[in-house]
Amino acid sequence: MSAPKKPKGKRAAPKGAAQAVSLSSALGEAAWAEADRALAQAMSEFEEVEAAATHVRRAEALMLLRQALARAARVRGFSRLGGEPGAVEPYDQTRHDLVSAPAIAPAEVTIVSQGVARGAEVLVKARVKAVRKRPAS
Amino acid sequence: MSWTLCVDFGTAFSKAAAAPRDAWARFDPARVRPLMLNHQGEGSAFLLDSAVFVDDTRILFGRAALARAGADPASKRAALRSFKTLLSVGDLERALSSGVPASIDPHRMFSMRDLILLYLSYLTACIARAVAADGELSKGDLALRYAAPAWRSSEGVGAHANITRLFGEAAALRLQFGADVLAPEGVDIQRARAALDATRGAGAPDMGLIFEATAAAAYSSIGLENAASHLIVVDMGAGTTDIAALAASGGSLAEIAEARVTLKQAGDFIDGIIANIALESHGKLKTAAQQAEFWRVMMADMRGFKETLFATGRAGFRFDKRVVKVALKDVERDKDFRLFAGALTSAYERGIAALRERALADGRREVHAIAVGGGAAAPFIQALVRRQPKSAGKVKVIARPATPAWAHAPAFNGNLAPVFPQLAIAIGGALAPESMIAARGGVSQA
Repeated sequence: MSAPKKPKGKRAAPKGAAQAVSLSSALGEAAWAEADRALAQAMSEFEEVEAAATHVRRAEALMLLRQALARAARVRGFSRLGGEPGAVEPYDQTRHDLVSAPAIAPAEVTIVSQGVARGAEVLVKARVKAVRKRPAS
Repeated sequence: MSWTLCVDFGTAFSKAAAAPRDAWARFDPARVRPLMLNHQGEGSAFLLDSAVFVDDTRILFGRAALARAGADPASKRAALRSFKTLLSVGDLERALSSGVPASIDPHRMFSMRDLILLYLSYLTACIARAVAADGELSKGDLALRYAAPAWRSSEGVGAHANITRLFGEAAALRLQFGADVLAPEGVDIQRARAALDATRGAGAPDMGLIFEATAAAAYSSIGLENAASHLIVVDMGAGTTDIAALAASGGSLAEIAEARVTLKQAGDFIDGIIANIALESHGKLKTAAQQAEFWRVMMADMRGFKETLFATGRAGFRFDKRVVKVALKDVERDKDFRLFAGALTSAYERGIAALRERALADGRREVHAIAVGGGAAAPFIQALVRRQPKSAGKVKVIARPATPAWAHAPAFNGNLAPVFPQLAIAIGGALAPESMIAARGGVSQA
Protein backbone atom coordinates (compact mmCIF):
# COMPACT_ATOMS: atom_id res chain seq x y z
CA MET A 1 0.00 0.00 0.00
CA SER A 2 1.40 3.37 -1.00
CA ALA A 3 1.75 6.22 1.44
CA PRO A 4 -1.02 8.84 1.25
CA LYS A 5 -0.07 11.85 -0.86
CA LYS A 6 0.21 15.28 0.67
CA PRO A 7 -2.69 17.51 -0.38
CA LYS A 8 -1.61 19.95 -3.08
CA GLY A 9 -1.72 23.67 -2.47
CA LYS A 10 -2.00 23.35 1.31
CA ARG A 11 0.82 23.48 3.77
CA ALA A 12 0.75 21.09 6.68
CA ALA A 13 0.29 22.91 10.00
CA PRO A 14 3.56 23.28 11.90
CA LYS A 15 4.07 20.71 14.63
CA GLY A 16 4.01 23.33 17.37
CA ALA A 17 0.66 24.60 16.16
CA ALA A 18 -0.86 21.11 16.36
CA GLN A 19 0.39 20.72 19.92
CA ALA A 20 -0.93 24.13 20.85
CA VAL A 21 -4.35 23.19 19.47
CA SER A 22 -4.46 19.98 21.48
CA LEU A 23 -3.35 21.77 24.67
CA SER A 24 -5.91 24.48 24.03
CA SER A 25 -8.58 21.78 23.62
CA ALA A 26 -7.47 20.08 26.84
CA LEU A 27 -7.55 23.37 28.73
CA GLY A 28 -10.94 24.07 27.20
CA GLU A 29 -12.24 20.66 28.20
CA ALA A 30 -11.08 21.19 31.77
CA ALA A 31 -12.85 24.54 31.85
CA TRP A 32 -15.99 23.01 30.34
CA ALA A 33 -16.07 20.28 33.01
CA GLU A 34 -16.40 23.00 35.66
CA ALA A 35 -18.69 25.13 33.53
CA ASP A 36 -21.01 22.15 32.93
CA ARG A 37 -21.61 21.77 36.64
CA ALA A 38 -22.28 25.48 37.02
CA LEU A 39 -24.71 25.43 34.07
CA ALA A 40 -26.51 22.41 35.53
CA GLN A 41 -26.79 24.35 38.79
CA ALA A 42 -28.17 27.32 36.87
CA MET A 43 -30.84 25.14 35.23
CA SER A 44 -31.85 23.79 38.60
CA GLU A 45 -32.08 27.30 40.07
CA PHE A 46 -34.13 28.45 37.08
CA GLU A 47 -36.74 25.84 38.06
CA GLU A 48 -36.65 27.24 41.58
CA VAL A 49 -37.24 30.77 40.24
CA GLU A 50 -40.28 29.62 38.29
CA ALA A 51 -41.68 27.60 41.18
CA ALA A 52 -41.01 30.19 43.88
CA ALA A 53 -44.14 30.90 45.92
CA THR A 54 -42.86 34.08 47.59
CA HIS A 55 -40.82 37.11 46.61
CA VAL A 56 -38.11 36.10 49.08
CA ARG A 57 -37.76 32.59 47.61
CA ARG A 58 -37.70 34.05 44.11
CA ALA A 59 -35.04 36.59 45.01
CA GLU A 60 -32.89 33.88 46.60
CA ALA A 61 -33.23 31.59 43.60
CA LEU A 62 -32.41 34.49 41.26
CA MET A 63 -29.29 35.24 43.27
CA LEU A 64 -28.15 31.60 43.00
CA LEU A 65 -29.05 31.51 39.29
CA ARG A 66 -26.96 34.62 38.66
CA GLN A 67 -24.13 33.16 40.73
CA ALA A 68 -24.14 29.87 38.79
CA LEU A 69 -24.13 31.65 35.42
CA ALA A 70 -21.34 33.98 36.54
CA ARG A 71 -19.32 30.98 37.65
CA ALA A 72 -19.77 29.21 34.31
CA ALA A 73 -18.72 32.42 32.55
CA ARG A 74 -15.71 32.87 34.82
CA VAL A 75 -14.28 29.39 34.29
CA ARG A 76 -14.79 29.81 30.54
CA GLY A 77 -12.79 33.03 30.67
CA PHE A 78 -15.62 35.42 29.81
CA SER A 79 -15.25 39.07 30.63
CA ARG A 80 -17.61 42.05 30.51
CA LEU A 81 -17.33 44.25 27.47
CA GLY A 82 -17.92 47.98 27.71
CA GLY A 83 -18.34 50.19 30.73
CA GLU A 84 -21.11 50.04 33.33
CA PRO A 85 -24.62 50.87 32.04
CA GLY A 86 -24.86 54.63 31.66
CA ALA A 87 -21.16 55.07 30.88
CA VAL A 88 -20.27 57.05 27.76
CA GLU A 89 -17.49 55.84 25.46
CA PRO A 90 -16.34 56.32 21.83
CA TYR A 91 -18.38 54.28 19.36
CA ASP A 92 -16.69 51.13 18.02
CA GLN A 93 -18.79 49.02 15.66
CA THR A 94 -16.83 45.87 16.53
CA ARG A 95 -17.79 46.18 20.22
CA HIS A 96 -21.08 48.09 20.20
CA ASP A 97 -24.55 47.22 18.96
CA LEU A 98 -26.75 50.29 18.50
CA VAL A 99 -30.28 49.91 19.88
CA SER A 100 -31.57 52.15 17.06
CA ALA A 101 -29.28 52.86 14.18
CA PRO A 102 -28.94 56.55 13.27
CA ALA A 103 -28.21 57.60 9.69
CA ILE A 104 -24.66 58.58 10.61
CA ALA A 105 -22.46 56.57 12.95
CA PRO A 106 -22.27 58.38 16.30
CA ALA A 107 -19.00 59.59 17.77
CA GLU A 108 -20.00 58.55 21.27
CA VAL A 109 -22.44 56.07 22.76
CA THR A 110 -24.05 55.39 26.13
CA ILE A 111 -23.87 51.79 27.39
CA VAL A 112 -27.35 50.27 27.82
CA SER A 113 -26.12 46.77 28.74
CA GLN A 114 -22.63 45.33 28.78
CA GLY A 115 -21.44 42.82 26.20
CA VAL A 116 -19.37 39.68 26.72
CA ALA A 117 -15.90 38.88 25.42
CA ARG A 118 -13.58 35.91 25.69
CA GLY A 119 -9.99 36.98 25.28
CA ALA A 120 -9.91 39.09 22.12
CA GLU A 121 -13.11 37.54 20.77
CA VAL A 122 -16.34 39.51 21.12
CA LEU A 123 -19.14 37.05 21.87
CA VAL A 124 -21.94 39.55 22.46
CA LYS A 125 -21.58 43.23 21.65
CA ALA A 126 -22.51 45.80 24.27
CA ARG A 127 -25.95 47.31 23.58
CA VAL A 128 -25.62 51.06 23.25
CA LYS A 129 -27.50 54.16 22.23
CA ALA A 130 -26.05 57.11 20.39
CA VAL A 131 -25.13 60.21 22.36
CA ARG A 132 -26.89 63.10 20.68
CA LYS A 133 -24.77 66.16 20.25
CA ARG A 134 -26.29 69.24 21.76
CA PRO A 135 -26.88 71.92 19.15
CA ALA A 136 -24.37 74.70 19.46
CA SER A 137 -25.92 77.63 21.36
CA MET B 1 14.14 18.87 21.71
CA SER B 2 15.12 19.79 25.28
CA TRP B 3 12.44 20.66 27.84
CA THR B 4 12.29 21.80 31.45
CA LEU B 5 9.55 20.28 33.58
CA CYS B 6 8.65 21.92 36.87
CA VAL B 7 6.57 20.37 39.66
CA ASP B 8 4.70 22.57 42.12
CA PHE B 9 3.25 20.64 45.05
CA GLY B 10 0.82 22.96 46.71
CA THR B 11 -1.04 22.34 49.95
CA ALA B 12 -4.28 21.62 48.12
CA PHE B 13 -3.13 20.65 44.60
CA SER B 14 0.02 19.54 42.82
CA LYS B 15 0.69 20.93 39.36
CA ALA B 16 3.32 20.45 36.68
CA ALA B 17 4.25 22.28 33.49
CA ALA B 18 6.90 22.01 30.80
CA ALA B 19 8.55 24.57 28.54
CA PRO B 20 11.36 24.39 25.97
CA ARG B 21 14.77 24.71 27.65
CA ASP B 22 15.51 27.86 25.61
CA ALA B 23 12.13 29.50 26.38
CA TRP B 24 13.74 32.43 28.19
CA ALA B 25 15.77 33.43 25.14
CA ARG B 26 13.17 32.55 22.49
CA PHE B 27 9.77 32.79 24.11
CA ASP B 28 6.79 31.34 22.30
CA PRO B 29 3.67 31.18 24.53
CA ALA B 30 2.20 28.41 22.36
CA ARG B 31 4.95 26.03 23.51
CA VAL B 32 4.12 26.29 27.22
CA ARG B 33 2.63 23.00 28.37
CA PRO B 34 0.67 22.61 31.62
CA LEU B 35 0.40 18.85 32.22
CA MET B 36 -2.87 17.01 32.71
CA LEU B 37 -2.17 15.12 35.91
CA ASN B 38 -5.69 14.40 37.15
CA HIS B 39 -7.52 11.58 35.41
CA GLN B 40 -9.85 10.76 38.29
CA GLY B 41 -12.86 12.46 36.72
CA GLU B 42 -13.93 15.29 39.02
CA GLY B 43 -12.14 18.60 39.13
CA SER B 44 -9.70 20.20 36.73
CA ALA B 45 -7.50 17.85 34.71
CA PHE B 46 -4.52 20.09 35.55
CA LEU B 47 -4.91 20.04 39.36
CA LEU B 48 -3.97 16.86 41.24
CA ASP B 49 -5.35 16.72 44.77
CA SER B 50 -2.45 16.50 47.24
CA ALA B 51 -3.90 13.75 49.42
CA VAL B 52 -3.20 10.23 50.70
CA PHE B 53 -5.72 8.13 52.63
CA VAL B 54 -4.70 5.02 54.57
CA ASP B 55 -7.77 2.78 54.36
CA ASP B 56 -8.28 -0.60 56.03
CA THR B 57 -6.45 -2.59 53.35
CA ARG B 58 -5.53 -0.05 50.63
CA ILE B 59 -3.74 3.26 50.23
CA LEU B 60 -5.70 5.76 48.14
CA PHE B 61 -4.38 8.85 46.38
CA GLY B 62 -5.63 12.16 45.05
CA ARG B 63 -9.35 12.67 44.52
CA ALA B 64 -10.10 9.05 45.54
CA ALA B 65 -8.38 9.69 48.89
CA LEU B 66 -10.48 12.80 49.53
CA ALA B 67 -13.69 11.06 48.49
CA ARG B 68 -12.96 8.20 50.89
CA ALA B 69 -12.07 10.60 53.72
CA GLY B 70 -15.31 12.52 53.20
CA ALA B 71 -17.52 9.45 52.78
CA ASP B 72 -18.23 9.13 56.50
CA PRO B 73 -18.55 12.55 58.18
CA ALA B 74 -18.83 10.92 61.61
CA SER B 75 -15.49 9.13 61.23
CA LYS B 76 -12.36 10.63 62.75
CA ARG B 77 -10.19 9.20 59.96
CA ALA B 78 -8.53 11.83 57.80
CA ALA B 79 -6.41 12.08 54.65
CA LEU B 80 -2.85 13.40 54.89
CA ARG B 81 -2.73 16.69 52.97
CA SER B 82 -0.10 19.03 54.39
CA PHE B 83 2.91 17.88 52.32
CA LYS B 84 3.89 21.38 51.38
CA THR B 85 3.86 22.69 54.94
CA LEU B 86 5.95 19.71 55.97
CA LEU B 87 8.42 20.01 53.11
CA SER B 88 8.87 23.71 53.89
CA VAL B 89 9.97 23.34 57.52
CA GLY B 90 13.54 24.20 58.44
CA ASP B 91 14.43 20.81 59.97
CA LEU B 92 13.05 18.59 57.24
CA GLU B 93 14.82 15.40 58.34
CA ARG B 94 13.23 15.60 61.77
CA ALA B 95 9.80 16.39 60.32
CA LEU B 96 10.02 13.41 57.96
CA SER B 97 10.86 10.98 60.74
CA SER B 98 7.92 12.13 62.87
CA GLY B 99 5.02 9.79 63.53
CA VAL B 100 1.62 10.03 61.92
CA PRO B 101 -1.56 10.54 63.99
CA ALA B 102 -3.83 7.51 64.39
CA SER B 103 -6.54 9.45 62.56
CA ILE B 104 -4.34 9.22 59.44
CA ASP B 105 -2.68 5.83 59.95
CA PRO B 106 -4.67 3.68 62.41
CA HIS B 107 -2.45 0.66 61.60
CA ARG B 108 0.71 2.47 62.79
CA MET B 109 2.55 1.11 59.76
CA PHE B 110 3.87 4.31 58.17
CA SER B 111 5.98 7.32 59.07
CA MET B 112 5.40 10.78 57.64
CA ARG B 113 8.27 10.10 55.24
CA ASP B 114 6.61 6.87 54.03
CA LEU B 115 3.33 8.60 53.26
CA ILE B 116 5.04 11.47 51.47
CA LEU B 117 7.03 8.95 49.42
CA LEU B 118 3.86 7.09 48.51
CA TYR B 119 2.22 10.33 47.42
CA LEU B 120 5.28 11.36 45.41
CA SER B 121 5.26 7.97 43.67
CA TYR B 122 1.65 8.67 42.67
CA LEU B 123 2.51 12.22 41.56
CA THR B 124 5.50 11.08 39.49
CA ALA B 125 3.35 8.35 37.90
CA CYS B 126 0.76 10.99 36.95
CA ILE B 127 3.53 13.15 35.48
CA ALA B 128 4.98 10.18 33.54
CA ARG B 129 1.53 9.41 32.11
CA ALA B 130 1.03 13.03 31.03
CA VAL B 131 4.48 13.15 29.41
CA ALA B 132 3.87 9.85 27.59
CA ALA B 133 0.62 11.22 26.19
CA ASP B 134 2.38 14.25 24.69
CA GLY B 135 3.95 13.52 21.32
CA GLU B 136 6.76 16.05 21.70
CA LEU B 137 7.52 15.78 25.42
CA SER B 138 7.70 12.00 25.28
CA LYS B 139 10.45 12.17 22.65
CA GLY B 140 12.28 15.10 24.26
CA ASP B 141 15.06 15.38 26.78
CA LEU B 142 13.53 16.47 30.13
CA ALA B 143 15.29 18.39 32.90
CA LEU B 144 13.40 18.29 36.21
CA ARG B 145 12.77 21.04 38.73
CA TYR B 146 10.48 21.57 41.66
CA ALA B 147 9.23 24.81 43.17
CA ALA B 148 9.35 25.51 46.90
CA PRO B 149 9.13 28.51 49.19
CA ALA B 150 12.60 29.86 50.02
CA TRP B 151 14.24 28.31 53.03
CA ARG B 152 15.47 30.90 55.45
CA SER B 153 17.95 28.82 57.36
CA SER B 154 21.34 27.44 56.36
CA GLU B 155 19.61 24.05 56.19
CA GLY B 156 18.17 25.03 52.81
CA VAL B 157 20.70 23.13 50.74
CA GLY B 158 20.37 20.11 53.06
CA ALA B 159 16.60 20.26 52.62
CA HIS B 160 17.06 20.30 48.84
CA ALA B 161 19.26 17.20 49.05
CA ASN B 162 16.59 15.52 51.20
CA ILE B 163 13.84 16.34 48.74
CA THR B 164 15.78 15.06 45.73
CA ARG B 165 16.38 11.83 47.66
CA LEU B 166 12.62 11.59 48.26
CA PHE B 167 12.03 12.02 44.52
CA GLY B 168 14.61 9.31 43.82
CA GLU B 169 12.94 6.82 46.15
CA ALA B 170 9.50 7.83 44.83
CA ALA B 171 10.66 7.08 41.27
CA ALA B 172 11.84 3.63 42.38
CA LEU B 173 8.51 3.06 44.14
CA ARG B 174 6.65 4.02 41.00
CA LEU B 175 8.52 1.37 39.06
CA GLN B 176 7.59 -1.20 41.73
CA PHE B 177 3.90 -0.31 41.56
CA GLY B 178 3.66 0.13 37.79
CA ALA B 179 0.30 1.42 36.57
CA ASP B 180 -1.42 0.10 39.74
CA VAL B 181 -0.57 3.29 41.63
CA LEU B 182 -2.81 5.22 39.20
CA ALA B 183 -5.87 3.03 39.80
CA PRO B 184 -8.68 4.73 41.78
CA GLU B 185 -8.58 1.81 44.23
CA GLY B 186 -4.93 2.61 44.99
CA VAL B 187 -2.41 0.01 46.19
CA ASP B 188 -2.55 -2.78 48.73
CA ILE B 189 -1.27 -1.66 52.12
CA GLN B 190 1.08 -4.63 52.66
CA ARG B 191 2.47 -4.21 49.16
CA ALA B 192 3.07 -0.52 49.86
CA ARG B 193 4.98 -1.37 53.04
CA ALA B 194 7.13 -3.98 51.26
CA ALA B 195 7.84 -1.62 48.34
CA LEU B 196 8.90 1.17 50.71
CA ASP B 197 11.34 -1.18 52.45
CA ALA B 198 12.70 -2.46 49.12
CA THR B 199 13.35 0.98 47.61
CA ARG B 200 14.85 2.75 50.62
CA GLY B 201 18.09 4.52 49.63
CA ALA B 202 17.41 4.61 45.87
CA GLY B 203 19.57 7.24 44.14
CA ALA B 204 18.54 10.87 43.92
CA PRO B 205 17.82 12.31 40.47
CA ASP B 206 19.44 15.51 39.20
CA MET B 207 16.73 18.05 40.03
CA GLY B 208 16.75 21.80 40.22
CA LEU B 209 15.09 23.84 42.94
CA ILE B 210 13.40 27.10 42.04
CA PHE B 211 11.95 29.36 44.67
CA GLU B 212 8.29 30.17 44.14
CA ALA B 213 8.89 33.92 44.14
CA THR B 214 11.50 33.48 41.39
CA ALA B 215 9.06 31.38 39.37
CA ALA B 216 6.50 34.19 39.70
CA ALA B 217 9.11 36.71 38.54
CA ALA B 218 9.90 34.49 35.56
CA TYR B 219 6.37 34.14 34.20
CA SER B 220 5.52 37.79 34.84
CA SER B 221 8.72 39.10 33.20
CA ILE B 222 9.29 36.71 30.30
CA GLY B 223 9.06 38.27 26.89
CA LEU B 224 8.85 41.80 28.32
CA GLU B 225 11.30 44.53 27.42
CA ASN B 226 10.61 46.27 30.72
CA ALA B 227 11.09 43.17 32.88
CA ALA B 228 11.06 44.07 36.55
CA SER B 229 14.49 44.47 38.14
CA HIS B 230 12.97 44.77 41.63
CA LEU B 231 9.88 42.76 42.47
CA ILE B 232 7.80 41.92 45.54
CA VAL B 233 5.69 38.75 45.39
CA VAL B 234 2.67 38.04 47.60
CA ASP B 235 1.88 34.33 47.30
CA MET B 236 -1.29 33.23 49.07
CA GLY B 237 -1.74 29.49 48.77
CA ALA B 238 -3.90 27.15 50.83
CA GLY B 239 -1.51 26.68 53.76
CA THR B 240 0.74 29.74 53.89
CA THR B 241 0.97 33.31 52.67
CA ASP B 242 4.53 34.14 51.61
CA ILE B 243 6.01 37.53 50.92
CA ALA B 244 9.33 37.63 49.08
CA ALA B 245 11.30 40.40 47.39
CA LEU B 246 13.72 39.90 44.51
CA ALA B 247 16.33 42.16 42.95
CA ALA B 248 18.22 41.69 39.68
CA SER B 249 21.86 40.98 40.36
CA GLY B 250 24.49 39.91 37.84
CA GLY B 251 22.05 38.56 35.27
CA SER B 252 19.90 36.66 37.77
CA LEU B 253 17.36 37.46 40.46
CA ALA B 254 18.47 37.28 44.08
CA GLU B 255 16.14 37.23 47.04
CA ILE B 256 16.36 39.99 49.64
CA ALA B 257 16.45 37.86 52.77
CA GLU B 258 15.20 40.51 55.21
CA ALA B 259 11.98 40.96 53.20
CA ARG B 260 10.84 37.36 53.47
CA VAL B 261 7.86 36.61 55.71
CA THR B 262 5.75 33.45 55.86
CA LEU B 263 2.36 33.74 57.55
CA LYS B 264 0.65 30.57 58.68
CA GLN B 265 -2.73 31.96 57.67
CA ALA B 266 -3.81 31.57 54.06
CA GLY B 267 -6.61 30.09 51.96
CA ASP B 268 -7.55 27.33 54.41
CA PHE B 269 -7.74 29.89 57.21
CA ILE B 270 -10.05 32.13 55.13
CA ASP B 271 -12.16 29.05 54.28
CA GLY B 272 -12.66 28.40 58.00
CA ILE B 273 -13.78 32.00 58.60
CA ILE B 274 -16.23 31.85 55.68
CA ALA B 275 -17.64 28.49 56.79
CA ASN B 276 -18.15 29.76 60.35
CA ILE B 277 -19.96 32.88 59.10
CA ALA B 278 -22.14 30.70 56.89
CA LEU B 279 -22.89 28.35 59.79
CA GLU B 280 -23.92 31.28 61.94
CA SER B 281 -25.98 32.68 59.09
CA HIS B 282 -27.90 29.39 58.80
CA GLY B 283 -28.64 29.55 62.51
CA LYS B 284 -30.65 26.32 62.78
CA LEU B 285 -27.92 23.70 62.98
CA LYS B 286 -27.49 22.88 66.66
CA THR B 287 -26.09 19.35 66.84
CA ALA B 288 -22.45 18.48 66.15
CA ALA B 289 -23.56 16.01 63.45
CA GLN B 290 -25.61 18.69 61.64
CA GLN B 291 -22.74 21.15 61.82
CA ALA B 292 -20.24 18.53 60.60
CA GLU B 293 -22.45 17.76 57.60
CA PHE B 294 -22.85 21.47 56.86
CA TRP B 295 -19.08 21.94 57.08
CA ARG B 296 -18.46 18.96 54.77
CA VAL B 297 -20.92 20.17 52.11
CA MET B 298 -19.59 23.71 52.23
CA MET B 299 -15.92 22.71 52.09
CA ALA B 300 -16.58 20.44 49.09
CA ASP B 301 -17.49 23.50 47.02
CA MET B 302 -15.48 26.14 48.85
CA ARG B 303 -13.24 27.03 45.92
CA GLY B 304 -16.19 28.02 43.70
CA PHE B 305 -17.98 29.70 46.60
CA LYS B 306 -14.92 31.76 47.44
CA GLU B 307 -14.34 32.75 43.79
CA THR B 308 -17.90 34.08 43.62
CA LEU B 309 -17.55 35.86 46.95
CA PHE B 310 -14.32 37.53 45.82
CA ALA B 311 -15.65 38.42 42.37
CA THR B 312 -19.07 39.78 43.35
CA GLY B 313 -18.87 40.57 47.06
CA ARG B 314 -21.45 37.97 48.07
CA ALA B 315 -22.25 34.30 47.56
CA GLY B 316 -24.84 31.77 48.64
CA PHE B 317 -25.66 28.08 48.60
CA ARG B 318 -28.55 25.80 49.46
CA PHE B 319 -28.43 23.63 52.54
CA ASP B 320 -31.29 21.91 54.31
CA LYS B 321 -33.97 23.81 52.35
CA ARG B 322 -32.45 27.17 53.25
CA VAL B 323 -30.29 29.54 51.24
CA VAL B 324 -27.21 30.49 53.24
CA LYS B 325 -25.65 33.83 52.25
CA VAL B 326 -22.25 35.28 53.03
CA ALA B 327 -21.13 38.83 52.20
CA LEU B 328 -17.49 39.79 51.78
CA LYS B 329 -17.97 42.61 54.27
CA ASP B 330 -18.90 39.98 56.91
CA VAL B 331 -15.55 38.29 56.30
CA GLU B 332 -13.72 41.62 56.47
CA ARG B 333 -15.38 42.40 59.79
CA ASP B 334 -14.32 39.08 61.34
CA LYS B 335 -11.86 39.54 64.21
CA ASP B 336 -9.49 36.76 63.13
CA PHE B 337 -9.52 38.03 59.55
CA ARG B 338 -8.68 41.55 60.68
CA LEU B 339 -5.73 40.25 62.70
CA PHE B 340 -4.50 38.38 59.64
CA ALA B 341 -5.04 41.37 57.34
CA GLY B 342 -3.09 43.56 59.79
CA ALA B 343 -0.19 41.10 59.97
CA LEU B 344 -0.18 40.80 56.17
CA THR B 345 -0.11 44.56 55.68
CA SER B 346 2.75 44.97 58.18
CA ALA B 347 4.74 42.19 56.52
CA TYR B 348 4.14 43.73 53.09
CA GLU B 349 5.21 47.19 54.31
CA ARG B 350 8.44 45.70 55.69
CA GLY B 351 9.07 43.87 52.42
CA ILE B 352 8.48 47.05 50.43
CA ALA B 353 10.84 48.99 52.72
CA ALA B 354 13.62 46.46 52.13
CA LEU B 355 12.94 46.45 48.39
CA ARG B 356 12.90 50.27 48.28
CA GLU B 357 16.33 50.43 49.92
CA ARG B 358 17.76 47.99 47.38
CA ALA B 359 16.08 49.75 44.44
CA LEU B 360 17.45 53.14 45.52
CA ALA B 361 20.92 51.65 46.02
CA ASP B 362 20.68 50.26 42.46
CA GLY B 363 19.58 53.66 41.11
CA ARG B 364 15.99 52.59 40.44
CA ARG B 365 12.89 54.63 41.16
CA GLU B 366 10.24 51.96 40.63
CA VAL B 367 9.53 48.44 41.87
CA HIS B 368 6.91 45.92 40.77
CA ALA B 369 4.38 44.00 42.88
CA ILE B 370 2.57 40.81 41.96
CA ALA B 371 0.08 38.52 43.70
CA VAL B 372 0.21 34.81 42.90
CA GLY B 373 -1.35 31.57 44.12
CA GLY B 374 -4.95 30.54 44.67
CA GLY B 375 -5.62 33.70 46.72
CA ALA B 376 -4.28 36.12 44.09
CA ALA B 377 -7.78 37.24 43.10
CA ALA B 378 -8.89 38.00 46.67
CA PRO B 379 -9.91 41.68 46.83
CA PHE B 380 -7.78 42.38 49.91
CA ILE B 381 -4.70 40.87 48.21
CA GLN B 382 -5.31 42.87 45.02
CA ALA B 383 -5.87 46.02 47.09
CA LEU B 384 -2.57 45.36 48.86
CA VAL B 385 -0.47 45.12 45.69
CA ARG B 386 -2.27 47.95 43.89
CA ARG B 387 -1.83 50.65 46.51
CA GLN B 388 1.19 52.83 47.05
CA PRO B 389 2.45 51.75 50.49
CA LYS B 390 3.80 54.35 52.91
CA SER B 391 7.08 52.48 53.25
CA ALA B 392 7.72 52.86 49.50
CA GLY B 393 8.53 56.55 49.99
CA LYS B 394 9.28 58.13 46.64
CA VAL B 395 9.74 54.78 44.91
CA LYS B 396 6.77 53.97 42.66
CA VAL B 397 5.10 50.57 43.15
CA ILE B 398 3.65 49.17 39.92
CA ALA B 399 1.18 46.28 40.23
CA ARG B 400 1.62 43.51 37.67
CA PRO B 401 -1.46 41.51 36.62
CA ALA B 402 -1.82 38.05 38.21
CA THR B 403 -2.29 36.66 34.71
CA PRO B 404 0.33 37.94 32.24
CA ALA B 405 -0.69 39.23 28.82
CA TRP B 406 0.95 36.26 27.06
CA ALA B 407 -1.50 33.85 28.74
CA HIS B 408 -4.16 35.43 26.51
CA ALA B 409 -2.23 34.47 23.35
CA PRO B 410 -4.48 33.28 20.47
CA ALA B 411 -2.81 29.82 20.65
CA PHE B 412 -4.69 29.12 23.91
CA ASN B 413 -8.04 30.17 22.49
CA GLY B 414 -8.94 31.89 25.77
CA ASN B 415 -8.53 28.64 27.72
CA LEU B 416 -5.31 29.24 29.67
CA ALA B 417 -6.13 32.57 31.35
CA PRO B 418 -8.97 31.28 33.59
CA VAL B 419 -6.73 28.59 35.13
CA PHE B 420 -3.44 30.48 34.95
CA PRO B 421 -3.23 31.69 38.60
CA GLN B 422 -3.32 28.11 39.84
CA LEU B 423 -0.75 26.83 37.35
CA ALA B 424 1.42 29.94 37.48
CA ILE B 425 4.25 28.68 39.71
CA ALA B 426 4.72 25.43 37.77
CA ILE B 427 4.70 27.39 34.48
CA GLY B 428 7.09 30.06 35.80
CA GLY B 429 9.39 27.37 37.19
CA ALA B 430 9.56 25.72 33.77
CA LEU B 431 10.15 29.01 31.94
CA ALA B 432 12.89 30.38 34.21
CA PRO B 433 16.45 30.19 32.86
CA GLU B 434 19.02 28.05 34.64
CA SER B 435 20.57 31.19 36.14
CA MET B 436 17.43 31.71 38.24
CA ILE B 437 17.43 28.36 40.01
CA ALA B 438 18.43 28.19 43.67
CA ALA B 439 20.01 24.74 43.75
CA ARG B 440 20.65 21.72 41.57
CA GLY B 441 21.54 18.19 42.64
CA GLY B 442 21.89 19.26 46.28
CA VAL B 443 24.28 22.09 45.44
CA SER B 444 23.31 25.71 46.06
CA GLN B 445 23.61 27.97 43.03
CA ALA B 446 23.59 31.08 45.20
